Amino acid sequence: MTRPDASDAFQKGFDTQLTRRILHYVRPYLPLVIGGVLLALLISLAAPVFALIQRHAIDAYLSPLALRTEPDLDLLRRGLTGAALLYMGLKVVEFALQYAFTLAIGYLGQNVLRDIRADVFGKLQRLPLSYFDQNPVGRLITRVTSDVDAINQFITGGLVSLIQSSFIIVVYVVIMLSVNWQLALISFTVLPVLFLATNYFRARLRDAFRETRTQQATVNSKLNENITGMLTVQLFGRERRSALDFNLSNRALLSANENSVKWFSLFMPVVAVLGQVAVALILYFAARQILGVDASGAVAGAITVGTLFAFVQLSQQLFQPIQDLADVFNNLQAAMASSERIFGVLDTEESITDKPDARSLTNFEGRVDFRNVWFAYDQTVTADTPDTDERWILRGIDLHIRPGESVALVGATGAGKTSVTALVSRFYDVQRGSVNVDGTDVRDLAQHDLRRHVGVVLQDVFLFAGTIESNLTLNNPDIPHERVIEACRYVGVHEYILSLEHGYQTEVRERGATLSTGQKQLLAFARALIQNPDILLVLDEATANVDTETELRIQQALKRVMQGRTSIIIAHRLSTIEHCDRIVVMRRGHIVEQGSHHQLLEKGGYYARLHRLQYAQADAAD
Amino acid sequence: MDSFRTLIPYLRLHRGQYVIGLIAVVIANSVNLLPYYFIRLTIDGLTGQVDGDPATTGIALGTAGLYALGIVAAALVAGGFMLLMRRMIVVASRQTEYEIRRDLFAHLQGLDKPYYDRARTGDLMNRLTGDLSAVREMLGFGAWQIVNIVSGFITAFSVMFSLSWQLTLIVLALVPVIVGVLTYLARQINVRHRLAQEQNSLIAAKAQENFSGARVVKGYAIENREIDDYRAMNLELLRRNIALTRVDGPLRSFMSLLLGLAFGLILLVGGRLILAPDSTFTVGMFVQFVGTLERLTFPMLMVGWITGVTQRGLASWLRLKEIFDSQALVRDEPGRTDPTLRTVRGDVTFENVTVRYGDKTVLNDVNLHIPAGTFLGITGPTGSGKTVLGQLLTRSMDPTGGRVLVDGHDVRVIPLRTLRDAVSVVPQEPFLFSDTIANNIGLGLDNRDLPPVLTGVSVVGAPPPDDIPQQPDPARVREAARLAGLTEDVDGFPQGFGTMLGERGVTLSGGQRQRTAIARALVREPRILLLDDSLSAVDTETERRILDGLREVSRGRTVILIAHRVSTLRHADQIVVLEDGRVTEQGSHDALLAQNGHYAQLERLQRLASDLDADETPSDEQAPRDLAAPLDPEAAADRLPAAPTPEQVNR
Repeated sequence: MTRPDASDAFQKGFDTQLTRRILHYVRPYLPLVIGGVLLALLISLAAPVFALIQRHAIDAYLSPLALRTEPDLDLLRRGLTGAALLYMGLKVVEFALQYAFTLAIGYLGQNVLRDIRADVFGKLQRLPLSYFDQNPVGRLITRVTSDVDAINQFITGGLVSLIQSSFIIVVYVVIMLSVNWQLALISFTVLPVLFLATNYFRARLRDAFRETRTQQATVNSKLNENITGMLTVQLFGRERRSALDFNLSNRALLSANENSVKWFSLFMPVVAVLGQVAVALILYFAARQILGVDASGAVAGAITVGTLFAFVQLSQQLFQPIQDLADVFNNLQAAMASSERIFGVLDTEESITDKPDARSLTNFEGRVDFRNVWFAYDQTVTADTPDTDERWILRGIDLHIRPGESVALVGATGAGKTSVTALVSRFYDVQRGSVNVDGTDVRDLAQHDLRRHVGVVLQDVFLFAGTIESNLTLNNPDIPHERVIEACRYVGVHEYILSLEHGYQTEVRERGATLSTGQKQLLAFARALIQNPDILLVLDEATANVDTETELRIQQALKRVMQGRTSIIIAHRLSTIEHCDRIVVMRRGHIVEQGSHHQLLEKGGYYARLHRLQYAQADAAD
Repeated sequence: MDSFRTLIPYLRLHRGQYVIGLIAVVIANSVNLLPYYFIRLTIDGLTGQVDGDPATTGIALGTAGLYALGIVAAALVAGGFMLLMRRMIVVASRQTEYEIRRDLFAHLQGLDKPYYDRARTGDLMNRLTGDLSAVREMLGFGAWQIVNIVSGFITAFSVMFSLSWQLTLIVLALVPVIVGVLTYLARQINVRHRLAQEQNSLIAAKAQENFSGARVVKGYAIENREIDDYRAMNLELLRRNIALTRVDGPLRSFMSLLLGLAFGLILLVGGRLILAPDSTFTVGMFVQFVGTLERLTFPMLMVGWITGVTQRGLASWLRLKEIFDSQALVRDEPGRTDPTLRTVRGDVTFENVTVRYGDKTVLNDVNLHIPAGTFLGITGPTGSGKTVLGQLLTRSMDPTGGRVLVDGHDVRVIPLRTLRDAVSVVPQEPFLFSDTIANNIGLGLDNRDLPPVLTGVSVVGAPPPDDIPQQPDPARVREAARLAGLTEDVDGFPQGFGTMLGERGVTLSGGQRQRTAIARALVREPRILLLDDSLSAVDTETERRILDGLREVSRGRTVILIAHRVSTLRHADQIVVLEDGRVTEQGSHDALLAQNGHYAQLERLQRLASDLDADETPSDEQAPRDLAAPLDPEAAADRLPAAPTPEQVNR
């Protein structure tokens, strides 16, 4: 899934509309931008001055020309001291400017990065659950990491160096031309070659690096797979084949690396040689001009030794901005592809939104009504799709739950139980019919409001990085510690938490890998209790790896959590089901039976048989 | 340094490349100083020409031209040697990286289950990626930089000294200060870079957690809190990045400042030297001096980095060494292993077998004889030790006490290869590879005659590796799939047996995965077949078909079947009930029913259940649902453990 991302990153051209949208993020920092541009201008103006000071020092104080006629050595020395001090002073100034510039640009880039990230992350929070079903987490991560980084690169590495390099080049060209236009033109001859060579090599290197990255990714995923599946490999005697296969990838990576080295090892010397060619050209043509003038040397505007030295310096200093400029386009291209993907996320339609006049709930009773609900996860299914379509998950569900009533949903996998609970929270919108809470269509309620009143207990409690307590309160600082303890006592997990090294402040490691299934389940109940919802949705998976004692505890906890709340429970445990006010049996998106435990047993239908079976299994497990 | 010694065998493999490369660095460094020498000669010649003093020698244009050519020639030579250096040393470091990775992989293949139970995949991956890069950087960049710095300083200082000892003394006084400051900065940059990186990983982890926990985030309506959190973390990142920029951003301009100050001093003092009466110090020499000093910019900058690169590299090598130093407990041992044992009939005996994890007893004095060619069923509650029994047979681990015998030989005497060729296991949660279905089924076929990948040898001059023939006999694969009841599912996939599994292909349901694993075991035609609760996600109808198939092929083979369903177990020659690590019931189906114990109870209850099954055919065995994009969330649990994406790994 990262593959297409990586490849099209290099095929995107320049796009003014995208650029404009990126620049939109720069606008809040306009003063910073203006300051940065001014600093860049000052820096480029200061840069050539050093070579000019050197030129002056050599020509005015050190060259034999200056020494020729009765030199006042004191005067020369004083001049020299002045030049040296000026040089050092200006260096300090240049450093200060450069430092300010770097900080300004860093600050700008970091802020833009932060803003874009916040936007993308915020957008993702608003997108419906179906978006997360369709997009692998890895891809979303890429959006908020490397894609955003590419845009940051675009601004700091692309736009800024475009501006800075252009300034420097212009200033240097003007100064060199005005000092000696013939010599200037001669030293410029190398620059187009440098530009083209840099461009050429960078393109080769880019391809080579891309290839290395691809190969490295292959090696890494094979390593990962082999380490995870090592025992299978060993049991099936596949070590040699795996080793050979891995060796192929490993060698391919080596070749890719060697290829990168090949281009890189060429690139650096070529640039260095070009630099020396420029020096040699300057040296030769300067010598020709100097030797060409008459020996008395008093021709105005003729090249001096100082000029020669200054030109050697200036021409070398021009190399960096030329190379940077050649690089700018690479940054731009990568940023175009990334920004397109980012704006793609930002432009995603939020299919589940609050209506402008969305109602907020004040008095919450907890009545839930499903009115002829037809639902499919597939969003291409519409209200007009025929009833016979395979994709319907719920097919005309009518279900009315009174405030405080507890309802158990029973049925095989795929019967639509989970979908029923997901619709109460409005994780998805129904295609036909409506889901009402307290008589109001959930689509007319503010999502936040609704969900604050609906608590979900998942089969596997999802633990975030942080402490046990922060996981229970979900980082809500307003929840007092006492309430947390109370809830944990209530569900019977308090003692266990206290037995941990740091009690409630124990860090959860690796998503709670160290916790047992039973403990996680109890934590999930505690979390739900602490959030104190009016409607409770429990996805309760009968887990095999729970010992009898924990099993009992879970059942107890569940019973307590359900008390006084409208509860919809996907239950697998008989005891849970029995304690519910009503049992709803589902099959293929329909409700086939409903009633109390005893009613259904008497009826002798599907539930009655299921009950006999489960009792049998429950006994057998002990 | 001790840790460095253990790296020497790898360095030795590329001795020639390193020697040539390092010599090239020295030559390039020396030749690099020539251009400024030619500039000096030209300038001095030119000043001699124009000063009108016949005592000073002048220069002809032709000579100046020659000097100019000399500059280009010197640059070409130096560039050529730098190119040579890179192609020797940097390539050698890449090759060493390859060799270490290859050898680590081979070593990892020899490690056993106890090792992998302890080791975390993430940690191993970090070592194989990050640490390996650090070692490579030390061997490549580190090696030539050290020589570059040393030879650069020596050559530059000899030249400067020959030009003016006074100025050289000034430089000598300044260089330690410059290097000291730069080293300090380098260390600061390192520290702050790490801090920024840590924050970066935290933010990525936060995003990852938020996206994978979208259901909880939305369910509890905590989006705004999450956004605030994320913003706060990003603000902290900004702070850390700016802190990094403070030391990192101006590094180059700081270098230019320090050199500028040095130049100012040299101008001051050198100028006076030139102006001094009877001076032998010329403008040309001054220019050469300054130019030579400039050549030291990069080496001075690098002194600070190189210590970091070396330290990191050595520390990383130690971590890699740790992997190399870990030994498998379960392995062939000369003296104990009997290499003449090449075949297995399939007679299995557990003799007073006890297994303890710490103070927890998992198997307690188990005695069991499974004659060759018979069918043993094992059942018992979760945690009673059934799986461990199977693991002992394949020698995934060795028992704490007692012996496991195959054909009368202690399994510790039988070569692992022989043992594992003879035993095929179908685990409850099989691991499938991101490969085609055919290759997953043929996993254990045609592996025997493959050549080994040689370790500890240089890759230089090694021919490119051949493609490995991966064509398990289609007829055998198809037949095994048929026996495992998988054919219909596979035919429903777009590319049939060529369909890729995993991230880049289809995800199988739990039942399909189990059946693939059964096919994978059957195709090897093992002497002993071990099915560890491997029909749990398969519906009863399919199970019956598979069992029929099993009976068809299992004639003459020893079959050990761990299961919870009586319908699965009833045809076994012998059934064993394990409870708390002990054998509590043992006998045929009928005998156990007569005993009226755990097994008999199980049978009664499940008979009841079958009445229900007759009515309700579970729908979780429908293949097409796995192919549809938006899945019923309940089915998500059925998926292959997702291989981490490259970006996750890289992070």
